[in-house]
Amino acid sequence: MRIRIIKPGIFTTVQDRGRQLYLSQAVPVSGCMDRLSGRMANLALGNDDNAAVIEFTYANAEFVAETDLLIAYAGDGAILSLAIGDIPAERPVFIPTGTVVKLKNDPLGSRTYLAIAGGWDVPEVLGSRSTYVTAAIGGLHGRQLQAGDELSSIEKLTPTSKRILTHLQSDTPNYTDWSLARQLLLPANRKTIRVVMGNESSWFDDSSMNDFLTTPYTLSLRSNRMGYHLEGAVINRTVKDELLSTAVTPGTVQVTNSGSMVLLMADCQTTGGYPRIAQVAAVDMPLCGQLKPGDKINFKEITCHEAEMLYIQHEKQLLQLANTVKEKFL
Amino acid sequence: MQTQATVGQYFNVYALSEQAITIEFGQEINEDTLQKVTAFNQLIIQNPFPGFYTTVPAYTTLTVFFDPLQVIQSDLPGTDCFDKVSAYLTGLKNNRQDILITHPGTITIPVCYDGLFGPDIEEVASHTKLTPQEVISLHSKAIYKVYMIGFVPGFAYLGGMAEALATPRRATPRNAVPAGSVGIAGMQTGVYPLETPGGWQIIGRTPLKMFNADRPQPALLKAGDQVVFKPIDKSEFDHLANNPNADKDH
Repeated sequence: MRIRIIKPGIFTTVQDRGRQLYLSQAVPVSGCMDRLSGRMANLALGNDDNAAVIEFTYANAEFVAETDLLIAYAGDGAILSLAIGDIPAERPVFIPTGTVVKLKNDPLGSRTYLAIAGGWDVPEVLGSRSTYVTAAIGGLHGRQLQAGDELSSIEKLTPTSKRILTHLQSDTPNYTDWSLARQLLLPANRKTIRVVMGNESSWFDDSSMNDFLTTPYTLSLRSNRMGYHLEGAVINRTVKDELLSTAVTPGTVQVTNSGSMVLLMADCQTTGGYPRIAQVAAVDMPLCGQLKPGDKINFKEITCHEAEMLYIQHEKQLLQLANTVKEKFL
Repeated sequence: MQTQATVGQYFNVYALSEQAITIEFGQEINEDTLQKVTAFNQLIIQNPFPGFYTTVPAYTTLTVFFDPLQVIQSDLPGTDCFDKVSAYLTGLKNNRQDILITHPGTITIPVCYDGLFGPDIEEVASHTKLTPQEVISLHSKAIYKVYMIGFVPGFAYLGGMAEALATPRRATPRNAVPAGSVGIAGMQTGVYPLETPGGWQIIGRTPLKMFNADRPQPALLKAGDQVVFKPIDKSEFDHLANNPNADKDH
């Protein structure tokens, strides 16, 4: 299966669940900003959930099916649309050769993930297909997609993907009568972000800590795949020590010397020297991946143990979902 | 070469996230703490636990990344991942006070300090009240220690620069500093592995690739390594830059 990009949209890249094993050499994790949507798109097709997907930011992208396609998409940045109407998300969709697919704006969030049966076929670099443009590695030639780029899928399909393809194959666009329900894995309030207090949270004064957990913070325009600058109540320090650079990870909330905060995201550096006020619970990082400049968020404190339990529960639900899709096509 | 190292008594463990635990071995940057971080890093890599992914060594800390699902399903003692992993790490430390650490020897990085590659060498010379030749001589005479890799892939934080060379960052950072550029910022010196924006005073350039994703170990340097800079002229720079195996000997 193969597509050709007609309009690439804003910063469109190939991503997977990330590059875990080279952190000690300062290679960032990268991967989908909203891991949950990326995995959901893969699960709907019976793919391995680390298969490469295309990450679109907002809409205004367009591609054409150069062969018959079996795709699925998930996310809140755009709705995929054909000449005959919109395609539902989070379910397998068969698209015949020659069909043009457009991304229409979805005001709910910012990023949308397109999976294809088998996964997008780009070379694995350092154990991952994720694009990291700073080092020009991963994805398609280590860069964002451009008009005219052709992307193919890996030909080897899982038994489930093969069965889905046989089930949906047709002369016209065709999809299943069911979809996965990503919202069941997300909290009802998508603008409240659960955090565990960071190792340097005692470096800040009481009133700043109170502001941190009770007042809203706005995502500034200085936001990208590396991190989000947050605007809101200033965080004041009582401990003026310099933090010796140490490991940070996506979800770390750093406080800069001016008292503003930066929430680190997928392409963040592996070490940092700003005190860490909090760490976003991994299960809420998909919510962060959908934020856009101007969005207001509130932070809510949970314990490290709770964050861990939520993570384990979340992973078990995803395993269950993968099995459900498999069982539908036995 | 191998020497005995000890992890020591200071061993402060905290959660970075539900997928990572940080161990702090001291509170100051020094060779003793670096050796403890390096030794324990080697120990954990040789003795991984179920679900172990990778580590990030830093100035005084070692962070251990893992898959919580594999840890919770393992028979490590403890009720949650933090308990299980921190008990395992503490046990490793208590059982293995003496660790043999392997020293990689000294890595030589050829640097061309020619004005073409080191546009700020005059500024460093005038700030430090040295001649450019003295700057080169001081910079290439020292033996440096790699304290950590961070900032961008393959960037080594080096310790050991002569204090006389300390020069503040440029007032205006450059939008693009070429890969291989050797710079000074305050008391630090380092090599830019990739073309990135940067404010360091650039005094030269190495033809070696400090980061190359095609190598089994993409970063040329790792925490704990010793490094020296060797002055080379423009023709040797060109020769090495055109030799694709130049960085494979290291």
